[in-house]
Amino acid sequence: MTYRIGVDIGGTFTDLALFDDAAGTAITHKLLTSPDEPSRSVLAGVVAIAQSAGVQMGEVSAIAHGTTLVTNAVIERRGVPTALVTTEGFSDVLDIALERRYDLFDMRIAFPRPMVPRDQRLEVCERVRDDGTVVTVPEREALEAGLAELIATRGIQAVAVCFLNSYANPANERLVAGWIRERFPDLYVSLSSTVFPYPREYERWTTTCMNAYVQPIVDRYLARLEDGLGELGFTGKFLVMSSSGGTLASSIAREFPIRLLESGPAAGALMSAHVGKVLDERNILAFDMGGTTAKGCIIRGGTPIKRYEMEVARVHEFKGGSGLPAKIPVIDMIEIGSGGGSLAGTDERGTLAMGPRSAGADPGPACYGRGGQRATLSDANLLLGYLGAGSFLGGKMALDEDAAGRAISSQVADPLGVDLVEAAWGMHEVINEDVARAFRVHASERGIDYRRSSMVVFGGSGPLHGVRVARKLKIPKVICPAGAGVMSAFGLLSSPPAFEVVRSRQIAIDRLAPSDLAEICAELEAEASGVLVAGGVARDAIRIRRRLDMRYSGQGYEVEVSLPDEDPQSLRDALPQLFDEAYAAIFGMTLPGRPIEILNWKIEAYGPLAATHETYRVLQEPEGTSVLKRNRKAYFPEAGGFVDCPVYDRYALASGDSVVGPALIEERESTCVLGPGDLLTVDPFMNLVIEIR
Amino acid sequence: MSKIDPIAVGIYWDRLISITDEIVNTLVRTSFSTNVRESYDLSCLLFDGRGRMLAQGSYSVPSFTGTAPATLQHMLKRFPPETLSPGDVVITNDPWLGTGHMFDINVMQPIFRNGRIVGYCMSISHLPDIGGRGFSAVAREVYEEGLRLPVLKLIEKGQVSELILELFRCNVRAPEETIGDLMANASATSVGGRMLLEFMDEYGIDDISEIADVIISQSETAIRDELRKIPDGCYENAILVEGVEGTVRLACAVHIADGRARIDFSGSCDAVPSAINVPVCYTHAMACYAIKCLTTPGIPNNLGSVTPVEVTAREGSILNPVHPSPTGGRHVIGHYVAPLVFGALAGVMPDRVQADSGMLNLINVQGRNREGREVSSIFFACGGFGALKGIDGAPTTPSPSNMTSIPIEVWERLTSMTVLAKRLLPDSGGPGEFRGGLGQEIVLRNDSPHPLTVSCLSGRTEFPPLGMLGGEPGKLREISINGEVVHPKGRYVLAQGDTMTIHEAGGGGFGDPKQRSREAVLADVRNGFVSSQAAREIYGVAPAA
Repeated sequence: MTYRIGVDIGGTFTDLALFDDAAGTAITHKLLTSPDEPSRSVLAGVVAIAQSAGVQMGEVSAIAHGTTLVTNAVIERRGVPTALVTTEGFSDVLDIALERRYDLFDMRIAFPRPMVPRDQRLEVCERVRDDGTVVTVPEREALEAGLAELIATRGIQAVAVCFLNSYANPANERLVAGWIRERFPDLYVSLSSTVFPYPREYERWTTTCMNAYVQPIVDRYLARLEDGLGELGFTGKFLVMSSSGGTLASSIAREFPIRLLESGPAAGALMSAHVGKVLDERNILAFDMGGTTAKGCIIRGGTPIKRYEMEVARVHEFKGGSGLPAKIPVIDMIEIGSGGGSLAGTDERGTLAMGPRSAGADPGPACYGRGGQRATLSDANLLLGYLGAGSFLGGKMALDEDAAGRAISSQVADPLGVDLVEAAWGMHEVINEDVARAFRVHASERGIDYRRSSMVVFGGSGPLHGVRVARKLKIPKVICPAGAGVMSAFGLLSSPPAFEVVRSRQIAIDRLAPSDLAEICAELEAEASGVLVAGGVARDAIRIRRRLDMRYSGQGYEVEVSLPDEDPQSLRDALPQLFDEAYAAIFGMTLPGRPIEILNWKIEAYGPLAATHETYRVLQEPEGTSVLKRNRKAYFPEAGGFVDCPVYDRYALASGDSVVGPALIEERESTCVLGPGDLLTVDPFMNLVIEIR
Repeated sequence: MSKIDPIAVGIYWDRLISITDEIVNTLVRTSFSTNVRESYDLSCLLFDGRGRMLAQGSYSVPSFTGTAPATLQHMLKRFPPETLSPGDVVITNDPWLGTGHMFDINVMQPIFRNGRIVGYCMSISHLPDIGGRGFSAVAREVYEEGLRLPVLKLIEKGQVSELILELFRCNVRAPEETIGDLMANASATSVGGRMLLEFMDEYGIDDISEIADVIISQSETAIRDELRKIPDGCYENAILVEGVEGTVRLACAVHIADGRARIDFSGSCDAVPSAINVPVCYTHAMACYAIKCLTTPGIPNNLGSVTPVEVTAREGSILNPVHPSPTGGRHVIGHYVAPLVFGALAGVMPDRVQADSGMLNLINVQGRNREGREVSSIFFACGGFGALKGIDGAPTTPSPSNMTSIPIEVWERLTSMTVLAKRLLPDSGGPGEFRGGLGQEIVLRNDSPHPLTVSCLSGRTEFPPLGMLGGEPGKLREISINGEVVHPKGRYVLAQGDTMTIHEAGGGGFGDPKQRSREAVLADVRNGFVSSQAAREIYGVAPAA
């Protein structure tokens, strides 16, 4: 018998799922996160879910973990004292940054504090040219003396070694790292040529500094967790979710902790892809909306889109450009400052605006009755009848309609000169439009036509808005999966072991021999596979995905080209055509005859999924005996306003049942809103599948 | 559509901005010049069917926002709407019709729906080259500055004019890159047109003029409400700036009355026989920009933000030169318009104005790299940002323009120049209760076997960035070659091994330095931004030994 557990730590809740691989069933569990020591809630949750399933820890074959530890450590600056060792003349690169204002008119913009303070930086006389030629070899003595002093005076525990042009040749960085490890064996050392060997020094170095800054913390946290699980009798595999949607052996997670940024949302996106695959929907928009933010992800051909840069710890009103860049392989998530707690207000233009500020959990929206006075999205959804005053969180928390009405009247309706319902509807609709816009811009930046996709909705507020958002995007089908409340925990159990290696190596394709292509790929494949093998994956079970960043010679931005799954040696001649197809798909044109070059090589090794079943049936008791719980007035402008709307118990619906909107489907963590005419059917996997009409 | 409610307006408005953001994206990703893709020396804009500017891409150069509405009117005067057809693309780079110098190409496409023009999309970017003497201030007449294109149809009903492309090929350096960028602008306007039509279809909108009415009037109202908070009156300022041959005087008189600003620059000196004259379209744009920053920075830009501002300047003056005055480096002087206006209003808007910034340094580099490939690129580097009430100036931040510097690793590969150092200059930020941002030192060496021509276009080497309301000036800029100080607007040849050292100016401080908090001074000393000596002598704070 094999059981596997997924644990996802969020800011408020820790979500767990336990899969019984023999029976094909799943149970879920939620508990409050202990913010002071998150490993405690992981251990407590694991014990609780195993007990309720009647499973011994010795029977659990794997535990997969998603965590916000790295994100929070960077945002809250709770890392360790870190030193930057860098090329002479360039230690200020972290302050000089991009030399760009991210807002054209706002002279009061703020910039993020560099990861490493200026008095913890050490310059080394060394130089590598842009073509990789070593011009100056560093000197050992000065380096060691400088570091010894920083350790003595600043208590340095971690070092980021970041040299100019090291992406082209890592020799000097490696040399210095060797000396540091020999002389100061207790220091954690991160190299920019290992963490992410891409040109553009500011981004690479900042990423490397972040990696160093959180490494000791992540190392200790994972050690504590593994020890704790061992003491509980767990002997299986312990895996950590990465930002790019694959699981990592914990040893790799400890070496590259920066790859754990936003690993929970990545798991949710991955689960959406999985749900899509089971339903034979290869193109998906995943839409997850919670209390403070919404997340989106575009899935093409069954795989979430990836990118290689994200921004962390924004310091100025969530504005793009006000954070620190992290260059890592990540699932390309859209982050939108829209959630149930989003505050309503009027902006400088005198129009209605929602978010990005949020009321948070405490005091929360006005309707929570915990002293919150500000009008939020949840208040609007309550007034519109989408949320039930007596059925929120399975009826455990009563909502105050009067408080919601007062807040919206005074803060939205009166200032804009509209009535209360218009105001609430406006708030609901502004959020729908914000989310739809975010998807649209995101898709067009990547040149994707999303209109024939389906949408998978989850999170506490996702099902409330999903159908409306989908309609705006001309998406014909919305899926609200079973277990939507703990999607990320499910996703952890649906992710393969995976590791991606990225190298910058610029070669014009007319100078590329067929064997070059094969050789470079083979070298990187060996590196990526080695990581998986070290984590216990059988070598012959490993598969490889190859992607190249290519461009017309002279351009500054690359287009990613996926190579077909063939022997690379045979692909050399197909490269121009593969590139032209990818380029035309995005920009609608090609530039025939212009030379093409390869910039970056991205090789991903991935192992098999542990799952034995396509889907796992969630064991969940219905609330009462009947499917129809009650009727409630809810607002549908296309039906003329408030209509008497049936409210169904999701847990009492059976496979094959169908419902025509307007209707509300309640489950513990959320409510699915069906517009007039929309048709919902329950599929054999207990997913709600909604056709938008 | 009858009446548009305030909620719908917000939704439409944001959508129009997101369309322009997507146009910028397309342009950046298909462009060949580093000016566009690394430095965002560009702008993309949408207009309604009556030619009123509605939205502009968020990452843009502010001046283009101010010039584009006038450029569109010039284009429509040459080709009235009824003479335009689907698939037409109109261009110009005329300094007086466009953005003030010939390097910027203005590309416009009318957007047709059911046979009627419902809007215009414009894309503007700085081309890699336009011929003539290259990007520099050395020309004495506009004729020396390269290929000047009146308002022309680059594409007529979908047919690209081979004649115009031929003209480019015969006149510019790096012709393929330049033509590549020209066409990238054209396809960006197509993307914008397509997206505007999708938007109109989605909401069933036949005419965006009604939306435009609301957007423009709301923006105008907001800016006028802010201007009304300033007591009516005339506020003057004059500054000195180094020119190419001698000093240039810039002066302004800001008349505030009934929520409107009339800014007259007639007190400025005469135009000069160097390419630093500022066509009035650019003067106007920078003045509008300054007023927008002071009044309504949070409101997206559109025609409504410029209508309450009227700009005048004496014909033949440096801020309104006439043909054939050269204008290639017009921003070198034009950038001072914003701080000039800030200075005039400092007394009445002390919470809003900014002390002078160290500003941007542009160094145009031409020649061949180690591999023999042609180089024509601009090295952008920033001085410190001026301080504001309550905020220290950020180090090395551009103002008022917003180019982005090129990463060292990208620059070295592009040019075969080696960057030997790029570091902050301690004590370069102007002292104040809020300190000016630090400037930087940059050391460049030509390691290409070929000579590289460098044309400098910067100021602040004689007249420092001034502090405000008791704040002190930032450090001056200085450029030297092989240890010898050179003119900041000169043109030089770097042989292999020659070294150029640049000290970027610091930003001006804000308020009396003696009022600066002790903790802030000590933190500056600890970070090495301020020396112990300066802490003692200027701030009166003695750091612990």
